[in-house]
Amino acid sequence: MPTRTLALLGTASALAIAALAGPAPAVAEDIVLNMAAPDWPPTRFMQEEADRSYTAPSGNNVRLQIDFIPWPSFYERVAASLTSGEQKYQMLVTDSQWLGSFIEGGYYMDLTGLIAEDEELQAIMQDLHPALVSAYSTYPHIPVTELQEYPDPNANYYGFPQMPDTYVTWYREDLFCNETESADFEAEYGAPLPCTYEDWEDVDWERFDQIGTFFRRSAGDALGDGTADDEFYGIAYQAGKGYDFSTMQINAFIWQYGGSIWDESTEPEGQAEGVVNSDVAVEAFEHYLSMLEHMPPAWQTGQMDIFQIQELYLQGKVAAIINWVGLAEPVLDPETSTVSEVSAFARAPGLRQEDGSISRWANIGGQPFVLTTWNSDTVVREALDFVKWWESEEVQKKFAANGGQSGLRSVMELPEYNDYRPWNRAHVESLDWQKDVWHIPEFFELLTQQQEEFDKAITGQIDAREALDEVAEFQQEVLEDAGRIE
Amino acid sequence: MAATDTTAERGGAPAARGFNPVAWALAPERRGGLLVAPAIITLFVMNIFPLMWSLGLSFFNYRANRLTVPDFVWFRNFERVLTDDDVWERFQTTAIVVGSSVALQLVIGFALALLFAKSFPGRRILLMLVLTPMMLSFVAVGVFFKLFYEPTFGLVSQAVAIFTGEPFVVLSTPTGALIGIIVADAWMWSPFVMLLVLAGLVSVPKYLYEAAEIDRANWWRRFRTITFPYIKGLLLLAVLFRTIETFKLFDIVYLITQGGPGSSTETIAVYVYRMAFQYFRTSQASALAYIVLFVVIVLTSLYLYAVRRTSEAR
Repeated sequence: MPTRTLALLGTASALAIAALAGPAPAVAEDIVLNMAAPDWPPTRFMQEEADRSYTAPSGNNVRLQIDFIPWPSFYERVAASLTSGEQKYQMLVTDSQWLGSFIEGGYYMDLTGLIAEDEELQAIMQDLHPALVSAYSTYPHIPVTELQEYPDPNANYYGFPQMPDTYVTWYREDLFCNETESADFEAEYGAPLPCTYEDWEDVDWERFDQIGTFFRRSAGDALGDGTADDEFYGIAYQAGKGYDFSTMQINAFIWQYGGSIWDESTEPEGQAEGVVNSDVAVEAFEHYLSMLEHMPPAWQTGQMDIFQIQELYLQGKVAAIINWVGLAEPVLDPETSTVSEVSAFARAPGLRQEDGSISRWANIGGQPFVLTTWNSDTVVREALDFVKWWESEEVQKKFAANGGQSGLRSVMELPEYNDYRPWNRAHVESLDWQKDVWHIPEFFELLTQQQEEFDKAITGQIDAREALDEVAEFQQEVLEDAGRIE
Repeated sequence: MAATDTTAERGGAPAARGFNPVAWALAPERRGGLLVAPAIITLFVMNIFPLMWSLGLSFFNYRANRLTVPDFVWFRNFERVLTDDDVWERFQTTAIVVGSSVALQLVIGFALALLFAKSFPGRRILLMLVLTPMMLSFVAVGVFFKLFYEPTFGLVSQAVAIFTGEPFVVLSTPTGALIGIIVADAWMWSPFVMLLVLAGLVSVPKYLYEAAEIDRANWWRRFRTITFPYIKGLLLLAVLFRTIETFKLFDIVYLITQGGPGSSTETIAVYVYRMAFQYFRTSQASALAYIVLFVVIVLTSLYLYAVRRTSEAR
């Protein structure tokens, strides 16, 4: 056979093999997906797992490059990057409340059309817990109570869960399951201390308050099987001036009482005045304030944020706290926690209703991740492929096994899911009770003023009524200026 | 011929050999300009341009988180800022912090300078230790004092609890929080005042003190008529530097109290930040920043006026 014929046959065979192997780009491109994300275990895992196992189905060499930003400066760095126009990031982890601000600013990409064209993405949206779709993805915001299963014809979708979060109770089993303590508590309040997860299911704010009073001990007092070596406190929850550190907990009280914050889904008719400072909201806020006296004194300084209560719990200075599951991982580590062997988790308490049930409405935490508007078509395609990989069952199971939380119902329903971490059951069962705070561009303005007024009430400068009146008046003015209230 | 060579060397008119741009640029009459050009360009890009840009912004209703095209609103942002009660409250807080902190820094700095003006064993090592706070970063000092004041395990609370049996919460009241911030700022910057005063003290001629001793002048007289005139200029400089810096105080406040309780320790610098990056009222924040700049310029002018009067009185 002539050499030329052989060469032609060889080329033809190679082309046939390439065609059978499926579509591949003529030349594999090197693509880096730069992502801004807070520096904590869930995003560290995302980077490590992507480095370990992500291969782009397109055949391009796609690499995730996360810019890890410390939590305290995360918002500032993201805001500065976006508004300066540097167009550094292709994807961002974002608080759900920032959606409005950065969507209106033209930075976050509307993914509604792209999801509608892609069956895999549609399947993901249908599998996600509706509370997460409502909070993390819809803008204008559609409350979970009004959101239809995907595709909701009224919804524009923007984000996918990176790490869903809820706040739950972290408690000391060595104290709550101690027979002497329990007997003493029962003698005083007529019921034993809650010990198991099931016991905690019946804990309302009244019982939580009693726990706060009961476990207040001074140095040298008996505590469990030993003695307190320092001042010891019964309970703690968020009461900090920074960011949203009191709003998240106060909103829970207001919703559980049947009150409301200004509801963006009711604009332009929905008012702030008369709603934000309604009698029931004031009563709820007073209830929240009444329990502060049982907590470590950091609340008096307006510094009782999520990191402070985490630290106090890890140091063994509080019997039970309410905090995000996203911050719970260090509890299990004996190198960071003095209570690693004796901690357990349960759902956060709620308000007892007239029918005896407990209302547990709470403010959702966690973050979605979004795409930015300046990405090329190729980058968008690669970023969405990355989303599909991250939201796949296999990766989500690995994420959960390493301390993360999945937003996919199919993963949360796996029999082993609750065994991955001791707080998973509480988290999963809390998801049905989640609502979210505002998503509008005026979010930070409303939040900052509200945090200031709440802080004044927490530190005793004004009472609950005065604080909520100030908040309502300010919100009414800002929202009227923005055309959100007529 | 000789004249032609000289011109060519200077890079002046091109000589018969042809034009040499390097030689032309490096000619002595242009060399100065060339040497300062990088500094001028950097200054323009990093300072002057942003300054002019933000001045322009202050006349629009621009918000960095909106796509809407901003309108020209003349002086409305300045009017809104100047009629905002919150702004005046923050100026008041800033004035209290500036007045108290600078006064405390002067007293402590002066006392330390008097101490270190004399020789004693271990003076050098002690001086180095005393100077350390001003070399630390604001963040380090802020975090340090935040932990220092922490009511559950902080040093202050633990120390007071030895006597009272109760945790001591420094930052729980507006007054306590203000004192906490003033102490932190004074701790950091008193060594700077000390350094300036010390420079003045060591420059006083020894013979003046010897003459005063012969005249049996008492301590107060020696201080009033010899020491103080020598250090007055440096003291005024310390007041100027510290006033301007304290007026812009941000990091320590943000880290220790975040402006709380409520807004009782929120200085004007913190408020500008909130307005720009939390409220996203970008144009109003620019207007407020210019008002702050104006106040600082007025303070500087007052200082220069005081210095001129002192010089004239001499």
